[in-house]
Amino acid sequence: MICWGQKQQLKRQRIKNMTEILQCLAGYRPTTVNGPAQEQKCRIVSHFQSANLKSVREVLSLPAVDVQRLTGLAHPEVHQLLTAAAHACRRHAPLSVLQLQRGECCRCESGLRLGVSCPVLDGLLRGGLPVGGITELSGQSGAGKTQLALQISLSVQYPVEHGGLGGGALYICTEDSFPIRRLQQMISEQANLRSEVPSSLIRGLRFSDHVYIEHAADLDSLQVCLSRRAPVLLAAGLVRLIVVDSVAALFRSEFQAEDWMERNKQLLTFSSMLHQLSQEFTTPVLCINQVTDVLKDHDSLGPLSSSVTPALGLAWANQVLVRLMIRRLQKTVSRGDQSSALRQLEVVFAPHLARSKCEVAVWREGVRGVAAFE
Amino acid sequence: MFLTLPSILEKWPCQWSSGASGRRASPSFNAGEAVTALELLQRERECGSITTFSSQLDHALKGGLPVGKVTEICGAPGVGKTHLCLQLSVDIQIPRSFGGLEAQVIFMDTEGSFVLQRVVDIAAAVVRHFSLLAVDGEQKDTMQTFNMESILSNIFLVRCHDYVELQAELLLLPDFLRDKPRVRLLVIDSVAFPFRQHLDDLSQRTRLLQGLAQQVISMATRHNIAVVITNQMTTRLQDSQSHLVPALGEIWGHASTTRIILQWEGSQQVAAIVKSPCCIDTAIQYQITSEGFRDANQPEITLTNRR
Repeated sequence: MICWGQKQQLKRQRIKNMTEILQCLAGYRPTTVNGPAQEQKCRIVSHFQSANLKSVREVLSLPAVDVQRLTGLAHPEVHQLLTAAAHACRRHAPLSVLQLQRGECCRCESGLRLGVSCPVLDGLLRGGLPVGGITELSGQSGAGKTQLALQISLSVQYPVEHGGLGGGALYICTEDSFPIRRLQQMISEQANLRSEVPSSLIRGLRFSDHVYIEHAADLDSLQVCLSRRAPVLLAAGLVRLIVVDSVAALFRSEFQAEDWMERNKQLLTFSSMLHQLSQEFTTPVLCINQVTDVLKDHDSLGPLSSSVTPALGLAWANQVLVRLMIRRLQKTVSRGDQSSALRQLEVVFAPHLARSKCEVAVWREGVRGVAAFE
Repeated sequence: MFLTLPSILEKWPCQWSSGASGRRASPSFNAGEAVTALELLQRERECGSITTFSSQLDHALKGGLPVGKVTEICGAPGVGKTHLCLQLSVDIQIPRSFGGLEAQVIFMDTEGSFVLQRVVDIAAAVVRHFSLLAVDGEQKDTMQTFNMESILSNIFLVRCHDYVELQAELLLLPDFLRDKPRVRLLVIDSVAFPFRQHLDDLSQRTRLLQGLAQQVISMATRHNIAVVITNQMTTRLQDSQSHLVPALGEIWGHASTTRIILQWEGSQQVAAIVKSPCCIDTAIQYQITSEGFRDANQPEITLTNRR
């Protein structure tokens, strides 16, 4: 057997995560024929110690040539170390989509959706908001974004069979103060909005107790909220929805036009925190965004259906899974003693939805889609 | 196994390791082996390609996405990259009696954009399409086994949450390919997403990406699989004007053999082949219908939203 090896030095030092490395090497069969397996494992471990690599993740974050240089191991042994580390890092083996459909893996895409308390809108969204990514809702001021966000904060509290997720909502305000009166009004009219749900169930749900309101006036407090308070609420199962109203406010106000690189970096940090929370706790995240005018000769990110585009540019758009836009139309619609300006809710892009629109109106009880035949 | 000294001296080291681990004989390139250009051409013809269901794109790519090569699909969010990947994941399973590859696929999802509902839509449309096309007995027999369940059982999904998990999955991929020899397509959707987060050190990112590029290229040739990687777009300022360019830098641009950029031109979606060894730079129009990735002028059968 031709040996690639070089001279090896045995150093006895204490390392952190020694047990981790031994565990991940324990189940791994070495492919070399020379020498007993145990001796080879000790050699790999000792080289690992001397390289001052602290964890399995650190081993995988470096290119293979760097690992080889740091540990001084031969190429096949570096490969063994990396493969053992990969086994330790892996959360689950690849599973077929058929198994996914049958619900054999709860961590993966399960098709679970958060309904928005309106059958027309649920039809537009094919069930509701997906639980595994960021849904963005953008529009001009007064279009109805906060109204819809409040409605979804209530619909999440219903049990799963009624389109909710059986948990509360964490509502992070960055602009105005929280519209508490409007929320109270919507809570009192829930029986009207959700007429298909037994009223005893609605009476039993204590809606206002389960909406956790946070005010974040700047980026630092937003980071603190997402990194400290949100995980506690999510881990305890108290919260199954995160709403950020709005995303644009903080990023547009704290950065000048020239600081766009720093802004993008902060935006990426913020969105990766949201993604982490969303994935770990299978929680939908709804971000409300402002709009900005479309510049002439601007590289289009989509067919121009209106003169405005969501703010924060391409860097933010790349993080978003489902993009919705809402805008006011010139028409009004009336029903009984109420009248409402008509809005249009449009699906701009989503992996599972066609580009489609529907008309919505805002009533006392909440936001309702206007069905086609009405 | 006993060997004589002259035979040991003739062999290359990697031939030893492949022999010791008992890897299956791969029909493709063995390191250190010299082949003639004619043999390579014949092998390439045997490899086949994956149809995209858009006849114009298939024609521009000389049959479809090539097996044994790395193809990169870039585009702005929402333009249809994931849709094309899902379409390819279903199309690679088309039975041989219909001219397909009848193979399996491993899908590495880093963004969470793999949605079951959409796969079901695309698979249903493909099954419907071929059940209408089946003419002879053999094709009708294959349609008995080519159905929604079989299609879903041949797509393997891995969800990677960051670049470390992606590296881990790629390291374990050769073992997976050995256990499942029918896998002929690897999709990574997308490679830009995990590498643009949590990685401030650009030189580390570049080296990791180069390592990843080498890994996927060697897997594509050694195991004879098609590799499809999606990439995001970023803005670059040039002459005080901003342009959309593929993300991850110039060095990553060398990783793929073929590069397709999906973009909007007015209200029309256009796929531009910007880098390819065998096709000239072309741009074709396409659309995403409820059935999947199709030609732009193809009439859609149903346009309504379904649950």
